[in-house]
Amino acid sequence: MLLLYVLIAEWLFFYFAGTTVNRRGVTVGFGTLDRQFDILRHSCEIGLLALALTPVIITAGIDLSVGSLLGLCAILFGKFWHDGGLPIPIAATLALGCGALGGALNAALITALRLPPLIVTLGTYSLFRGLAEAITRGSVTYTNFPEGFLFIGQERWLGLPAQAWLFFAVAIGVWVLVHRMTFGRSFRAIGFSPEGARYAGLPVDRHIALAYILAGLIAALAAIIYTARLGQAKADAGTGYELFAITAVVLGGTSIFGGRGSVTGTLLGVAAIAVLKSGLASLPVVMRMNAAEEMSGVLTGALLLLALTAGVLPRLWSQRRARHAAVPKTLPTS
Amino acid sequence: MTPPLLELRRLTKSFGGARALRGVDFDLKAGEVHALLGENGAGKSTLIKIVTGAHQPDGGTIMVGGELAEDLTPAAAQALGIACVYQQPALFPDLSVAENIALRLERGGVLRTVGWRARHGCARDLLQRIGAEIDPATEVRSLSMPEQQLVEIACALGSGARIVIMDEPTASLTHKEQHLLFTVVRELRKSGVGVIYISHRLEEIFALADRVTVLRDGESVGTHPVSSMNEAGLIRMMVGREVAQIYPPSESAPGEVVLALRDVGCAASGVRGVTLDVRAGEVVGLAGLVGAGRTELARVLFGLTPADSGEISLNGQRVTLRSPGEAVAQGIAYVPEDRRRHGVVLEMPIAHNMTMAVHGQLFRGAWLRFGAERSLTLDYIRDLAVKCSGPFAPGGSLSGGNQQKVSLARWLATKPKVLILDEPTQGVDVGAKSEIHKIVRRLAKEGLAVLLISSDLPEVIGMSDRIGVMRGGALTAVLPGGADAHAVMAAALGTTERGAA
Repeated sequence: MLLLYVLIAEWLFFYFAGTTVNRRGVTVGFGTLDRQFDILRHSCEIGLLALALTPVIITAGIDLSVGSLLGLCAILFGKFWHDGGLPIPIAATLALGCGALGGALNAALITALRLPPLIVTLGTYSLFRGLAEAITRGSVTYTNFPEGFLFIGQERWLGLPAQAWLFFAVAIGVWVLVHRMTFGRSFRAIGFSPEGARYAGLPVDRHIALAYILAGLIAALAAIIYTARLGQAKADAGTGYELFAITAVVLGGTSIFGGRGSVTGTLLGVAAIAVLKSGLASLPVVMRMNAAEEMSGVLTGALLLLALTAGVLPRLWSQRRARHAAVPKTLPTS
Repeated sequence: MTPPLLELRRLTKSFGGARALRGVDFDLKAGEVHALLGENGAGKSTLIKIVTGAHQPDGGTIMVGGELAEDLTPAAAQALGIACVYQQPALFPDLSVAENIALRLERGGVLRTVGWRARHGCARDLLQRIGAEIDPATEVRSLSMPEQQLVEIACALGSGARIVIMDEPTASLTHKEQHLLFTVVRELRKSGVGVIYISHRLEEIFALADRVTVLRDGESVGTHPVSSMNEAGLIRMMVGREVAQIYPPSESAPGEVVLALRDVGCAASGVRGVTLDVRAGEVVGLAGLVGAGRTELARVLFGLTPADSGEISLNGQRVTLRSPGEAVAQGIAYVPEDRRRHGVVLEMPIAHNMTMAVHGQLFRGAWLRFGAERSLTLDYIRDLAVKCSGPFAPGGSLSGGNQQKVSLARWLATKPKVLILDEPTQGVDVGAKSEIHKIVRRLAKEGLAVLLISSDLPEVIGMSDRIGVMRGGALTAVLPGGADAHAVMAAALGTTERGAA
């Protein structure tokens, strides 16, 4: 809830500070509808990854490989279409399948071999990116996609950027999964207490696997949208996106220790980061000290640390109080 | 006359509401082996933890060598020459024997140099003194459990311990290793060390100890020279009390056999050849000492550690139970011993906890139905009289007894055929305890087959239609309900089967 107010305040600030009227009397900067659509368009891919990570983090896991998997799927999609001569829909379906496979690899290593998710996905983070670079030998990019495909990434449909509809559809899907289906319950139980979930007869391994496979699938969808937006598929697609996505999820109130979290929180987190990034770029030079990129990094980090601290402080305080209250009892009686 | 090495006077200690020690007197002389005996929960562990400084007593005095020891901390206890050898040695597996001994004994700053030769020499000396043939350079990981225990004893010796506490040191030893250990203990005694020896094996106490103190319900029942005691006498002292509490009477006539075990074993958890029938409407108690394999048997039946030998049948049909999910699907429910870790997810609401095992039945097509969940939860809250602020209060906000009821409700909701209750009243207040007893009786009357694991002897005797007694992973005796407490205790201690260990 706090995040919603932060987001509104943030947006209003940029609306007033970042919008100007130029000499011809045209409004430019943050306050224009075009700019708002731009923010939406640019946040779809990171937003999708954040949605993908929400169930994973609720199970007390983590997936660092989603950004790399995005790159690999983008390349595979381009290769299927360009080198394989497959029609776009089939290439896209295959790419989605590859995303799910990548997620399944993470899932298998985590559930069957009981390896920690952080390490497993750190490994696949390098593996997927490396594969993408190997396939393209670091130089090939696939371009010249047909108009009809680029529509997904560059045009509007029913008044909104086309990819926003896909994003919203996935958001609703993940929301239903986490908040309206038994899977969400299971994810939470696993996140709070994997042993407790096992003793309740829940299929712990199967549900953990589901979260990672779903994450891979959504990462592949993000790859297709990314390719359509830029009009090219390249091996470095989505580099560093996983960190923004994790930031958005945690900012949205999902506990990195598992159990707690919501999809609406994740959406707010994504919006807060996107507005911050875009808003800083539209500020007058004086205010952003001519360093929008750097400022956005600093402010995103500060925002995240602040959110984490705000989440932990009440517990720390109550523990402290409890400790102070307990002291007299343990004092020697003499 | 020299004062005793250790003298405890009127020691009391409570945990929450439970009084673990109610004024215990105990003394240990130099050069004696003093056995400490008692049922599970009689207060032995608490006593040991106070002497080693891990717990602070609420009242009473501790005298070490005739001097008052106040505010005993683990470090202070060690400085006073008190050392403890635990059942599970607490050594660093990746370090060598000499390094482990040095870690306990050597003191010094960060910058001191390591004298490897002296370190190994010291370790070799100590090991030699207790007659252990272990190379100080060996990695502890490669040692057997008894060898590790010997290293622990060497540590105790090296620290100049005058008081050595041994907590069930022979639990994992073979016969031959036991004899080696006994020799070491006798050596210690000869050199003037006082040994507090805790064991459930009565024959060891007769073989080794000079005096024995029996604890019961946190009180000392008496201290006697071992030579003046016999086994029957010791068991009588341990059990002692009458079955004072009133248990609801059995009202059901047992029906068909629901759960049939034939020679069921699981090598991984040490369950061996268990053959047992549980009938509909019957409460079968499982008695035994801690570590006798009762929880392990329950885990086998619930698919947590699947059986690797024998047959399990439900209603006459052979079943395999490879995961909790399969066990639940077959109609087996398990209310686990550790309810805070396994029984209830503390952070989740009561309602979510109660429906956790019935996702498949209650939520068709995996869609949550909040109305159905709420009404099911309210039904069980009313039915089992769960005291809570509402169906969405977190599980962790409830008292132990009410958490147990939530855990129970979760499994009743699955409409099981077999209900396994593992220590259902442990750490539960008296009121909730008798409520749980009534619920168990009612469930049996409704035709459930109940397997009741309990370390509370009166409970297991008062509640069960038949009592299975386990020892060392095997079912060693099946006694009728209301059996004599001495008989159950004797079976649990294995005194009816001399020499089998």
